[in-house]
Amino acid sequence: MSDDELDPVIHAPARLRIVVTLSTLAPDEDLSFTRLQDLIGLTPGNLITHLRKLEDAGYVTTVRSGRGVTARTGVSLTASGRTALERYSTALRQLLDGAAEPSGK
Amino acid sequence: MNEDAGPERAGSATAGGIDEEFDPSRAAAIMQEARERALHELRARYPVVFATWGLALMIGYGAMWLSVLGQHPYTGPTPLSLVALTLLLAAGAVITVVIVGRALTGIGGTSAAQRRVHYLALIAGVVGVFALEGALAHAGASNSLLGVYGATAPMLMTGVVYAASPALWQDWSTRALGAWLVVVAASSAYAGPVGVWGVAGLLAGLGFLAVAVVRRRRDRV
Repeated sequence: MSDDELDPVIHAPARLRIVVTLSTLAPDEDLSFTRLQDLIGLTPGNLITHLRKLEDAGYVTTVRSGRGVTARTGVSLTASGRTALERYSTALRQLLDGAAEPSGK
Repeated sequence: MNEDAGPERAGSATAGGIDEEFDPSRAAAIMQEARERALHELRARYPVVFATWGLALMIGYGAMWLSVLGQHPYTGPTPLSLVALTLLLAAGAVITVVIVGRALTGIGGTSAAQRRVHYLALIAGVVGVFALEGALAHAGASNSLLGVYGATAPMLMTGVVYAASPALWQDWSTRALGAWLVVVAASSAYAGPVGVWGVAGLLAGLGFLAVAVVRRRRDRV
C-alpha cells in the first residue's frame, strides 16, 4: 500500500467509526464492548466481525475481564492503530485536496 | 445494521481510482461525525459542572452571609439558609454525578480509574470534614469557630484534592482552581465567622465560573 492509498482495513464506514471513536480516548483507556456498540450502532455480531478484522491488522486489542455479571470486554486502539488512523487521515486529506484542485493547466 | 461494504468492496481508494460507494468525502464526513459523537458522549461536560458549583457557592454562601450579617453576638446562620446551602450543594453533587458518571460509563484503564479515585477522594473528604465539624460541636467549640470551619474546611479539602489529583495532572485550569480554593479558604478565614461566608463564597464561586469559561473555550477547539 503506497502513501496515497487509503488503508482498506480502516476504509469501511463501520471500521472507520470504530477507530475514530476509540481514538478519542486517552492511550491508556479502553471502551467496553457494549458502550462501543451503543456508539457505533452495530449488532453484536457485526461489531465482533469488524473488531476481528481490526485486531488481525494489529489496530485494536480486546481484553476480557471478570466473570458472570461483572464480565467485561474492553476494546482499545493500539499505538499501531493510532498511527494507521493518522496515516489514513493524511491520505484522505491529500485525496480531497487533489479532488478540489482544478484539473489541467 | 451492516452498512459496511467489507474490505473487498471498500477497496483501496487512491487518487487514481476512488471507490464510488465509499468515496473520500463520505469518509471525511463519517470521521467528523464519529469524532463529534464520541466526544459528545464520552467527554463529561465539565463547564456545566464547574458553572453549577460556582453558582451554588455564590448563592448558598451568599444566603449564609446574609443570615449572619449584623449578628452581635454571633449566633450562627438561620436554619433556612442552612437548608438552602445544603440543597444547592446537593444539587451540585447530583449534577456532577449524573454528568461525569454518564460520560465515564464503559471507559476503563488507568486514566478512567484515576478519575474515579479523584471523585471518591472528594466524597470521602466531604464526609470526613463534616464528621469533624460534628466532633468539634460535640467538644464544645464556639459558634464562631464552627462558622469559620464550616465555610472554609470543605473548600480547603476540595482545593487540595483538585490541586494534587493525578487525574488532573495535565489539566492546568482545574489544578489552578484547586490552588485558588486553598488560598481563598485559608485567607477568608481571617474575615471572621460573618465575613468568611461572603468572601469565600464570592471568590471561590468566581474561581469555579472562570474555570467553566476556560474549559468551555477549550472544548470548542
